[in-house]
Amino acid sequence: MLKVNLLTRDGASIAFDAEPSDTLLDAAANANIFLPAVCREGGCGTCRVTRKAGVVVLGPHSKAALTDDDRAAGDILLCRAKACSDLELTAPFDKAAIGFSPIPERSARVTEISPAGAGAVRLVLQYEDDPTHGRATEFIPGQFMELTLPGTSITRAYSLANTPNWDGTLEFLIRLHPQGVFSAYLKSEAKIGDPILVKGPQGSFTADEASHAPRWFVAGGTGVAPMLSMLRQMADFGDTREARLYFGVNTLDELFALDIIEDLKTSLPNLAATLCVWKSAPDWRGFTGTPADALAAALAAESAHPDIYVCGPPALIKATEALSLSAGVAHDRIFSEQFSPA
Amino acid sequence: MFCYQCEQTYRSDESAGCAGPKGMCGKDATTSDLQDILLHVCEGIGQYLRRARTLGAIDADADRFVLYAFFTTLTNVNFNAGKFVELIQQAAQHRDRAKALYEKAAQTAGKTPERLSGAAAFIPAKDMNGLLAQASAAAVKKDAATLGDDVVGLRSLVLYGLKGVCAYAHHAEVLGQERAAIYAAVEHALDLLASEPREIGPLLDEALALGHANFSAMEALDAANTGSFGTPVPTIVRMTPIKGKAILVSGHDLKDLHAILEATKDKGINVYTHGEVLPAHSYPKLKAYPQLVGNYGGAWQDQQKEFADFPGPIVMTSNCLIEPQPRYRGRLFTAGPVGWAGVRHIENGDFSQVVQAALALPGFNEDAAEETVTIGFGRDAVLGVADKVIDAVKAGAIRHFFLVGGCDGAAPGRNYYTDFAEHAPQDTMVLTLGCGKYRFNRHDFGTIGGLPRLLDMGQCNDAYSAIVVASKLAEAFGVGVNELPLSLIVSWFEQKAAAVLLTLLALGVRNVRLGPTLPAFLTPALVNVLVEKFGIQPIGDAKADIEASLSRAA
Repeated sequence: MLKVNLLTRDGASIAFDAEPSDTLLDAAANANIFLPAVCREGGCGTCRVTRKAGVVVLGPHSKAALTDDDRAAGDILLCRAKACSDLELTAPFDKAAIGFSPIPERSARVTEISPAGAGAVRLVLQYEDDPTHGRATEFIPGQFMELTLPGTSITRAYSLANTPNWDGTLEFLIRLHPQGVFSAYLKSEAKIGDPILVKGPQGSFTADEASHAPRWFVAGGTGVAPMLSMLRQMADFGDTREARLYFGVNTLDELFALDIIEDLKTSLPNLAATLCVWKSAPDWRGFTGTPADALAAALAAESAHPDIYVCGPPALIKATEALSLSAGVAHDRIFSEQFSPA
Repeated sequence: MFCYQCEQTYRSDESAGCAGPKGMCGKDATTSDLQDILLHVCEGIGQYLRRARTLGAIDADADRFVLYAFFTTLTNVNFNAGKFVELIQQAAQHRDRAKALYEKAAQTAGKTPERLSGAAAFIPAKDMNGLLAQASAAAVKKDAATLGDDVVGLRSLVLYGLKGVCAYAHHAEVLGQERAAIYAAVEHALDLLASEPREIGPLLDEALALGHANFSAMEALDAANTGSFGTPVPTIVRMTPIKGKAILVSGHDLKDLHAILEATKDKGINVYTHGEVLPAHSYPKLKAYPQLVGNYGGAWQDQQKEFADFPGPIVMTSNCLIEPQPRYRGRLFTAGPVGWAGVRHIENGDFSQVVQAALALPGFNEDAAEETVTIGFGRDAVLGVADKVIDAVKAGAIRHFFLVGGCDGAAPGRNYYTDFAEHAPQDTMVLTLGCGKYRFNRHDFGTIGGLPRLLDMGQCNDAYSAIVVASKLAEAFGVGVNELPLSLIVSWFEQKAAAVLLTLLALGVRNVRLGPTLPAFLTPALVNVLVEKFGIQPIGDAKADIEASLSRAA
């Protein structure tokens, strides 16, 4: 049995034993430590941590989840790594992102499906009352839930766009993909009252509360959902720090959630939002380009470094990370969550 | 960051004090520096208010703000750096108003107003980075190199004692009890600190003056609590949960508890007290609420496990908050001076969100086996049986009284208090107050002549009650308090306890054993002064200390 020690972003030390035959994710789960992970197949990068000491063998994985450079720098994926020696790891997430009991699975029902710009929907669910959990929606803004497609065992992960609440409401913004099974369900079959199994909360893409730096959010499409959740919570708590939102879509008709963003600007006086449309449109007076382009210009004009939160497709994450690093933002001040078609 | 205000501050062989990125309490360097600046700006408020008061002009809002602002800087109260940026701006506004008040009062009196410097003239930056750049001007140890640790330590004793006074006075003020004498004393201490005093004598005098002010603050709080909720009566309190939806109320604030009880009327929600809210069960107007069903958990340092296990919302109404764990952070609420970034704060006494949370969360699924303790022996309850007590003392049935009270904490050395209380001989009575009692309040102490041997007098501020009882007994026996067969075994952790200690010293109470360690800000020379002038002793071995106390009595 090998010893693994993982140091979280907020300085907590998490220790567990690992058999050389188990992935680190499974070894931790065997010790009732549920580390952040989504695809568990080396595809999403959610479980990426940095190896400070020790040797692992790393199984097949996507280059988008772990680039060769990251790997050379010591990064590993917990779902793909097996220990060959005792290990010292550092994680980019807080202890709060780690579960110490199995992730709750709860029943919910569809209460609303409405369009969110061209090509996305707003899905609202309501938890059923539950003897263990009551009906509260408890999570940390930025986290996601795994939803099970009714009548199947197919699951998809979506970030929550609302804030923790006591009436059991879960709000998601979901991009409709032409080939996606969940998208097909949402587009043509879903109806009010459908039962949906919800597994969560999960994920480590949460605001670093210990940092006093400004928060800059970079979102592509429905990647704005976890940002809205974090910003709504900041509004609820009267957080007066500087915040910026760079929210981008491909075409003008895809813009959505503008009313929510306006409300946020009212309740967060130090929030500036930049809407970015990639393909120029004649009647568009806002920023034309990607949110990464807008961020690059803003970082160039700024001397102090903000914390960067980015969520969206892999290309946006990659561009944001690269340009933030070159602008001098430290590696551990860039927090990302990437999503893939569903 | 440099902070050594609490008992658990970092100590090495060479030095004491938290000076890294984070203190032992979890307060980060940014928050600590901002707290220092807030206190510095408040000193400026005090400079003007004190002078205005001598001319007959007062600003009640500014006085109240100082109490609240100081309370936010006690150990385990407010960890939210952003909040301190706001409070510093508000403090500057109060200071400017106090300045105008003073200058107008001086002109009206035909005098030329003094031009004040130091804290009075300090202009705080508007944002966090700017403020942090100013932190050295307000640092606790800024004069240590030139004036030495004795002066800095004594300034700290005054500052921390003042924090305790402000905290108690704030608790009283929210319930409508204010005393001009307290505000005058607070202003006086602020003005003294702003003058950057260098002499031991005036600082020691100020510490004792604050001890007297704290007696007034505790008296005002006693009047506030009893005036609002009745006189405490002996009460049996359930210490285990019962089936149903649940809210846990921690901290000290009885006004917030009352508001929560009002908000949960007929809602099918049970309300539990935690930590220092336990004494609430003995107040007639609070115990009249049927949904106030019992106490849950123990003292503050166990909250991370207890709150995680509690199946409902938790409200922290004042000190002592420690870092909220992920498992309960979302259902934790802060109120009053308390704060933690990322935890919901109740701003205006509207606890409806807490009620919603209680209804949404599962609550307890079943009753636990019943366990109880008896509390509610405040001054009236004890003095009500004074005749019996006096007779028992005269007959030799009661040989000695031990007041074992104060704060609890996690340090292993605090086992001393458990050992002390449980080994006190059967012919001695144990009085207790504060949260230190959780170390022994479920122990069966038995009775003497029908009186329980363990008398729980209430919260830490109910030291007022204990002092009143001691004074009355001394009167009845025709002796001074120090001649009573009474020993005080005090445990301290934070600045309320520092203020209570100053009160005991100011009232000339000797025979105080203090632990688990002596304050880090007291240098060996200052400890010598306290030992020589006031007979303070550090705690030793529990059994030996019991023997020593009893032989003194004999």
